[in-house]
Amino acid sequence: MANESQKTTAVQTKTKLWLDIIVFVAFLITMDPHTSGIAIHEWLSLAMIAAMTVHLLLSWDWIMEISGRFLGKLGTQNRINYILNWLLFIDGTLIMISGIMISEVALPLMGIKLPMGFAWRRLHDMSANIGLLLLGLHTALHWGWIVTAINKYLVQPIVKLFSAKQKKDAAI
Amino acid sequence: MKTIGRILIILAVFSVFAGLMVVAVNASGSNTPAADGAPSQLRPGGDGARPEGDGNRPERGERDGAGGSRWMFGLIKNVGVMAVLVTIIAWPKSIAKKKKKKQAVVSSVNGNS
Repeated sequence: MANESQKTTAVQTKTKLWLDIIVFVAFLITMDPHTSGIAIHEWLSLAMIAAMTVHLLLSWDWIMEISGRFLGKLGTQNRINYILNWLLFIDGTLIMISGIMISEVALPLMGIKLPMGFAWRRLHDMSANIGLLLLGLHTALHWGWIVTAINKYLVQPIVKLFSAKQKKDAAI
Repeated sequence: MKTIGRILIILAVFSVFAGLMVVAVNASGSNTPAADGAPSQLRPGGDGARPEGDGNRPERGERDGAGGSRWMFGLIKNVGVMAVLVTIIAWPKSIAKKKKKKQAVVSSVNGNS
């Protein structure tokens, strides 16, 4: 039973690590729409809504636990983390909504046409810049987890693979 | 079923915030085509309608042939901002952790002797 739950946690951590790597790369691409092109920028951003939903689902237990304990006894780091995550969620929502409002490719393709609003454009730029800072803080606060997970699920399997190959070669 | 419920909760919270933002921007009255001072007639498609995009229009970076260097600059800038934040926050934290560990080892050695 304990082994099974450990296995589930390991699978969840691995999934989360790969998802976070993909979201990070996608974020870097979407942050430069002039180079990627507006179509890639918009479709990739819309796809990130799904990726972020999965990210939240994988952290659901932590979210529920801290939500319940937020007004009670809670460590400073968890409290800061929780507030920062809410700010990131609100900022993410603002980026998405303002992006949808100024969409030039995705929405017109779906047959939806909204009047051009310059307030939304300014909000989109501003929230994207704030998002970069918040994501930096989010990464910094989870740096320990990132290093541990990369070491455990990326570096060590590669090292093991090479050492096994060397042993095999030596045996021959 | 549990997962679907959770997804619905996430999307509901997202919709609530999105709705509040739309209401706030519309109520502020700043979301007009000429909000930044320039008359809308001077804009391409100046009636306030968005330009018809096919996703293939030339971008600013590509027009002057500097797309690659612009992309590199943007990437370095974005990763740089995040790296600075990680260094400022995670590095002192890791040093403090190592110090704490060292002190714990020293105190346990002293306790044994």
